[in-house]
Amino acid sequence: MFFHIVLERNMQLHPRYFGRNLRDNLVSKLMKDVEGTCSGRHGFVVAVTGIENIGKGLIRDGTGFVTFPVKYQCVVFRPFKGEILEAVVTMVNKMGFFAEAGPVQIFVSNHLIPDDMEFQSGDMPNYTTSDGSVKIQKDSEVRLKIIGTRVDATEIFCIGTIKDDFLGVINDPTTV
Amino acid sequence: MSGEEEENAAELKIGDEFLKAKCLMNCEVSLILEHKYEQLQQSSDDAVNQVSQVFEKSLQYVKRFSRYKNPDAVRQVREILARYQLAEFELCVLGNLCPETVEEAIAMVPSIKTRGRAQDDEAIEKMLNDLSLIKKFE
Repeated sequence: MFFHIVLERNMQLHPRYFGRNLRDNLVSKLMKDVEGTCSGRHGFVVAVTGIENIGKGLIRDGTGFVTFPVKYQCVVFRPFKGEILEAVVTMVNKMGFFAEAGPVQIFVSNHLIPDDMEFQSGDMPNYTTSDGSVKIQKDSEVRLKIIGTRVDATEIFCIGTIKDDFLGVINDPTTV
Repeated sequence: MSGEEEENAAELKIGDEFLKAKCLMNCEVSLILEHKYEQLQQSSDDAVNQVSQVFEKSLQYVKRFSRYKNPDAVRQVREILARYQLAEFELCVLGNLCPETVEEAIAMVPSIKTRGRAQDDEAIEKMLNDLSLIKKFE
C-alpha cells in the first residue's frame, strides 16, 4: 500500500551551499538522498512531496558542516503481511513465479498456486489449469495476498499466495 | 523485530504509525507521481534521467493498476468510501481492488467484518454499488 507520511532527517550541508539558495539546496539534496531508498520500517521512499519544516541548523565542531533537522512529507510504499494487492508477473519457473508490485518483488511458490494449475515449460513458461482456461505467464496481472515479508538493509522482499478465494489472474478485460 | 511478527493487514495490525498515516489509492499516487514527473521534465533534461528506479517502477505500477483516471472520479471515490467509517487502509484496499460482490469485499478486507462495526452486508453492497457507478460514469 502507498502511504503519505511525514519523516524526519538530519541533513548535513557543506558551507559552500550557504546563502540565498540554502533552502533550495537543502531540499534538492534531501530528494537526492532519500528518494529511492528503502527501510524496513517505512518501506520504499518513492517521492518527496513537500517540506513541513526545517529546524535550526547546528554547526559541527571542526568541520563547518551544519546539520539541519528537516521534516518532510513523502509517498512511501510499504507492503504488509495479509495485504491483498495486484501485481505483474515478471518471471515464471517450476519453483513458482515472481511478480512485481511497484518497487517490491513478490515470490509465489508453486505450493501456493492452486493445485489444479500445472507448470508448463517451453518458450513462455506458464502455469495453466487443466482445461486451459486460466494461464499465468510473464506480464500476466495477478491479485495476490502477501503472507510474509523479509526485510533487507536496502530491500523488502515478499512471499505471496494466490491459493485463496478471489485471488489469482485478473481476467476482467476492462481492467487490463 | 517483535512488532514485525505481529503485523497482519487482514486484522488491521499495521502499526500505529501507518494506521494513523494517510493511505493513498493507486489512482491518487498516479496523480501525484505524474505531476512530479512533469515538473522534473520542465526543470531540466537530465532530471528525468536521474529519477530513482523505485520512482519509475511505482509510476508504471500505479498507471497500470489505477481504476479511476480522472481526478474528479478519484475524489468522489474517497468521498463515498469515507461515509462508511472505514479505516484509511481499508478504504484504499477497496478503492484499489474494486470488489464486485459483498463476499469478495469481505475476502479482500476481512477487518470490515471483524471489528464489530455495524457494517452489515447491505451497507457493504450499497457501498460497492456507489463505487461501480462512479466507474460507469467516469
